[in-house]
Amino acid sequence: MKRNDTSFDRTRPAVRIPKRIAVPTAERHVTAGGVSVYTLPAPEYGVARVSFVFRAGSSWQQVPFCASATVNNLAEGSRNMTSLQIAERLDYYGSYFDVSIDRDWSVVTFVCLSKYFDRTLEIAREILLDPQFPEEELAVYCAKSRQALLVNRTKVDFMARELFARSIYGADHPYGTSSDAALYDTLRREEVAAFFRDHYTADNCFVVASGDVSAARIRTLEAFLGEMATGGVTERGPFPEPAATAHAERSVEGAVQSALRVGRTLFPRSHADYVGMQVVATVLGGYFGSRLVQNLREERGYTYGAYAAMVNFDRSGYFAAATEVGAPVTDDALEQMMYEIGRLREELVPEAELGMVRNIMAGEVMRILDGPFGIADVTIENIQNGFDNSYTAGFMEQVRAVTPERIRTLARRYLVPEELTTVVVGPDRAGRNKEHNEQAK
Amino acid sequence: MITYAEHRLANGLTMVVNRDRLSELAAVNLLYRVGARNEDPRRTGFAHLFEHLMFRGTRRIPDFDAPVQEACGENNAFTNNDYTDYYITLPKDNIETAFWLESDRMTGLEITPEKLAAEKSVVIEEYNQRYLNQPYGEQWLLLRELVYRVHPYRWPTIGLTPDHVREATLDDVRNFYDRYYRPSNAILSVSGDFDPEALFALAERWFGDLPAGEAPHDVLPAEPEQTAPRRTEIRRDVPATQITVACPMGDRRSADYYRCDLLTDLLAGGTSARLYQELVKKRQLFAAVNAYITGDLDPGMFVVTGQLMPDVRVEQGEEALWQEMRRLAETPAAPEELEKVRNKFEANMLYGELNVMNKALNLGYYAMLGDLSLVNGEAAIYRAIGAEELREAAERLLRREKSSTLIIHGGHEA
Repeated sequence: MKRNDTSFDRTRPAVRIPKRIAVPTAERHVTAGGVSVYTLPAPEYGVARVSFVFRAGSSWQQVPFCASATVNNLAEGSRNMTSLQIAERLDYYGSYFDVSIDRDWSVVTFVCLSKYFDRTLEIAREILLDPQFPEEELAVYCAKSRQALLVNRTKVDFMARELFARSIYGADHPYGTSSDAALYDTLRREEVAAFFRDHYTADNCFVVASGDVSAARIRTLEAFLGEMATGGVTERGPFPEPAATAHAERSVEGAVQSALRVGRTLFPRSHADYVGMQVVATVLGGYFGSRLVQNLREERGYTYGAYAAMVNFDRSGYFAAATEVGAPVTDDALEQMMYEIGRLREELVPEAELGMVRNIMAGEVMRILDGPFGIADVTIENIQNGFDNSYTAGFMEQVRAVTPERIRTLARRYLVPEELTTVVVGPDRAGRNKEHNEQAK
Repeated sequence: MITYAEHRLANGLTMVVNRDRLSELAAVNLLYRVGARNEDPRRTGFAHLFEHLMFRGTRRIPDFDAPVQEACGENNAFTNNDYTDYYITLPKDNIETAFWLESDRMTGLEITPEKLAAEKSVVIEEYNQRYLNQPYGEQWLLLRELVYRVHPYRWPTIGLTPDHVREATLDDVRNFYDRYYRPSNAILSVSGDFDPEALFALAERWFGDLPAGEAPHDVLPAEPEQTAPRRTEIRRDVPATQITVACPMGDRRSADYYRCDLLTDLLAGGTSARLYQELVKKRQLFAAVNAYITGDLDPGMFVVTGQLMPDVRVEQGEEALWQEMRRLAETPAAPEELEKVRNKFEANMLYGELNVMNKALNLGYYAMLGDLSLVNGEAAIYRAIGAEELREAAERLLRREKSSTLIIHGGHEA
């Protein structure tokens, strides 16, 4: 690999760090029905996006799979249009329709060419104001979702994610629970329709519109929202305390790799230590070249990837580190993960490494904000957490203020080895030491 | 519409710049015209292994990732059968960092036995994670083997077996680097708020004095025409049986590419498309269906695939897929349906031009195809295709005697 050196002086170019990341404020209108509509105009692109966000995530459901079945069947037929007609219209306009759901929220998003904005909204009306959840469509949905879940539950990483949630929150906790795929067969149309009635109301909704959204278009949107039902279920009681298990393990015959997770419940984003812990997680496994990647991938070749992150919910949050490794090195990989966590508790992170992590986190925010729609995603997340878009600039300042001492303090406070849950899903490790097997119970 | 300016350096490096006045970022994309197609049949998976090695440091810069990250940037790469692509996004003020890094590793890569050994095991774990430890993970290994007999598309990017990766030597690394990682074999594309002329000058500064070398010209064996149906059936511990049918089709620059693209959109472009509506919703034979083309530089594949619902027989599912393919060959699509798939293409194209990264990727890709004007010109090609032209292509290409069928039998099979 030796080629002739070139004469030009190839010293490293100077780097400039953006001082401030400006996130435009979303303009807020409140409709007569009480729905907040946030607009982020960027007319240059010729495309528009509208996201409807509902307090309708899976932690609100009483019946397994009901919340996801509801959001996934919104477009399966209204009084005026069949499922096929809705799909054909949206496809004809080239409009993109997507739904997503997490434990707390569901999001229904439309993206369209400017010229089809009004027509797309006409279809959105059928989807959001008048879904009928036809029996036969729901049956098809349940059959194929059951199948898809069974496929997912043959993947060690998927199984580890479910087992981890159960192990840190408890199997009956709204943030920890997962259900038997067979329960799809018992889900009834009435349960889905009732969940829609209770949760897809003006009182549970906010809207973020971005891209080519003129004042006239916002008026059309507000008129549409005026028709949305009000009321519904907007309050709920306290959740049970999380009930964590120290170690959980599941053996999967024939698996080539083990999926590993280490972590614990912590707190929602509003907590004073959240951003600090986000920096801790980033140092550990939040980027390519992080300590976990260095250790498990670059030095040992145990894995293709290793990660650590903070995850936030409405009422909680958790810290997790995860990887998938070749089965024979499972024990050592776990030891290395604990070693890297321990190092955060014992040693100060070198200033150079921390500086890089700060820059990575700044760059990440800039990348999310690129293009007309990224800013909509950031806005949605800020509103969900009870903030406006000034949060993002403040977030960057908080990240910049984190010191090596603070990282060690936070790691000592929150990443106490005895308080961490460990999850292993992979081939049977019959030869392992007994201690672990006993803890598994 | 992506505007662009093009420039070629004396050493053969092609450069394309798109000016995006709205973005704070720069996307720098470096495409090398080398992929799994260029591999020695005894060293399959090597182009991809080499892509990993490109992050293992050079004589001057021992760690590639850290300077990117210190500049608030992010970088990654991917390899496919036709090309290898490296990309960096970072604040536009720091673009020179990207040029510094990419020009350095185009000539100064330094791989030690230790680095090679560590990277081999990472790639073998990737093989395990993505191909062996996933339900249906082997489908590409098996399907390519079935469709191609002599062309290097017969193996996937990850390689035929982890053994080929295990056996790679330092000499292999050296030869591959010397042959393919040359300015004349690379395309540098950038999107961001830059004056193209100023950026060309900056590229001259960093890349201009790299030795040109000889542009490689690998002659690949042409795949002979298929005349009889082919079939592989295996049994695996997967919940649903998967049926995949593939037929050979033209290359990325052929007229058939666009026809086949629209045909697969009729079958599987969105929830209103035929396979989903007929086979998942109406007849409930499949839990999931899909149709797509591979879009390779050399003649590619038209693929139709689905996972059966429990209690559906394989023959019944297979016949249903063929019914839909026959329908394409027998009856021209209705004007409304054809308009729908064309509109969808145009909208998707526009949605794909919203950030600098996608634009830089697109420019690099079309420059590799050899006709940059296609980056904005394909909509017109799709517009010009009529229903009868589509039907004729389906009749000519989607034939049993030219098909390869892969069945992965699962647990709940009837």
